[in-house]
Amino acid sequence: MSLYSAIKRAKDYAAERFPIEKLNFHSMVEKKEVPVHRLSWGYYLGGAALFFLLVQIVTGLMLLFYYQPTVSDAHASVEYISDYVVGGALVRNMHSWSSSMMIACVIAHLLTAFAMKAFEKPREITWLTGVGLLFLTFGFGFTGYLLPWNQIAVNATKIGLQSIEQVGQYLPGQMAQWPRAIRETIQGEAAVGQATLSRFYAIHVIVLPFALAALLGLHLFSVQLHGMSRGVEDPPRRQEKFFPMFLIKDLSVWGVAFFLLFLMALCLPFESFSPYPLFEAFDPNGSTPDGIKPEWYFYFVYYPLELLPFGVILVGSGLAMLMLLLTPWLFRSTSRKTLRILALVGAAYFLGMTLFGEDIYHIFKGGGQ
Amino acid sequence: MKPRERRLPLLLALAGFVWTASARAYPEFQTWIVKNSGRSVNCAMCHAHPDGPDGTGYGQIGRLTSEEMERLNFARRAIEPGAEVQSPILNKFGNLIVSRLGMKKVLELKLDPSQLPDTLDPVSDLDRDGIPDAQELRDGTHPLKKEDGRPWRLFVNNAQRNLSPLLLTAAATAAGLYGLTRLLHGFACAARAERRETEDSGEP
Repeated sequence: MSLYSAIKRAKDYAAERFPIEKLNFHSMVEKKEVPVHRLSWGYYLGGAALFFLLVQIVTGLMLLFYYQPTVSDAHASVEYISDYVVGGALVRNMHSWSSSMMIACVIAHLLTAFAMKAFEKPREITWLTGVGLLFLTFGFGFTGYLLPWNQIAVNATKIGLQSIEQVGQYLPGQMAQWPRAIRETIQGEAAVGQATLSRFYAIHVIVLPFALAALLGLHLFSVQLHGMSRGVEDPPRRQEKFFPMFLIKDLSVWGVAFFLLFLMALCLPFESFSPYPLFEAFDPNGSTPDGIKPEWYFYFVYYPLELLPFGVILVGSGLAMLMLLLTPWLFRSTSRKTLRILALVGAAYFLGMTLFGEDIYHIFKGGGQ
Repeated sequence: MKPRERRLPLLLALAGFVWTASARAYPEFQTWIVKNSGRSVNCAMCHAHPDGPDGTGYGQIGRLTSEEMERLNFARRAIEPGAEVQSPILNKFGNLIVSRLGMKKVLELKLDPSQLPDTLDPVSDLDRDGIPDAQELRDGTHPLKKEDGRPWRLFVNNAQRNLSPLLLTAAATAAGLYGLTRLLHGFACAARAERRETEDSGEP
């Protein structure tokens, strides 16, 4: 293939993904239509995730005014926010609840987009940026978890960072050293300490938000440019205008989401689901309380990690990630019916591990003893 | 066992407690709370330090000043109920228990920790989360942390307490959505009218 034909192919590829004739307000908003069918509810999940992200940004900024990213003051500053700042407990709870709700929406959005074959040509970029956003969301969760500097945060982070280093024993040659180097870079010092907190803080409030803004911009632009995917095999019964009908419905979902979030944040402290010793200030000389585990959205990998050999999980996770990234090409010819079944299996696994992971762990661990 | 026989080991334990220089944590209570509630707890439920009174950390014997030692000894001597103790190794809840019951009763309860919640003031709620301290003890949740409690109990209490803000927020959200909907419909109508006007005038 000559250079000229390669450039031409790349140009055609880009033109198909970013058609210039559609780059106007009329095409992207006024003319845009949304299919109406039995899976239409899936179209609102991305918007809901965006809403929770906006809440995260606003409440995160508010928390920044009081939060101190030092090992000596981090926990005290979080307690100060909850106990003494007017509305502090509400804002902190909104931040915690909205992070969980955002991750739930992002995962549901990914599964419905997969089931509706929303990665079909020319929407590959939309899919890839979406997968990138999913990883960034998990990154937000992982880095944000450490910031309160309590027992569960520090101990779970230690386990998470150890897992990164463990990857090294399965890599060949010089590559075996890379995970340790990555761990040391993230950790910043010999043990999880001030350098780790500073780095996690910087990643959480600067690096990830910038990366997210870039990917989200491309994702939303791509969605508006190509419109919503058809979603079902048969032609949809009808189409509705994106502006104003779909937008109004989307905003109504935002309204309901806001009220639910407010209700939860005001009435149900996020920490009430775990025993209080886990939320005490981290004491390097004190005893480690029982029940150290990551946030619920990591259970789908945490409990299998506790039950199966690390290598199995590593290979499984690697294949799953590769499959996610290559979805537009791997499932190009797969019917939506098959994709729906696969999405249901994925959802059942995620829900099963999240809700019953601990029970499953005890069943298998008990059986093995 | 006759009352006199039952009192003898209690008095011996009490004497040992008063005269010994080292601290005494009561794991019997912790064990019962964990078993009863199924929730993990540590010494911080009643003590100042999560690992109990032994050690040199904050709220532990090894770090007490002479003034704090005096307060500790006063608390140790508070055998009968009613003394206003402020032991530095206990938190507010621990001090409340000793003040209300006296050390004699506390030691007696070590033999049957399940009776402890019944001996506490049924309406006392130190963290004002709407769940009485006695219930928090049964639930294995912290009586001094308002964010710690059985989720459903907390939800119901907080929803009742914040009914007005919740109703106002619901009304404001609904009104805001209604306004926004009308506004967007208005924009859509204006855009349609403008397009029709442009088409009628024959402009490109």
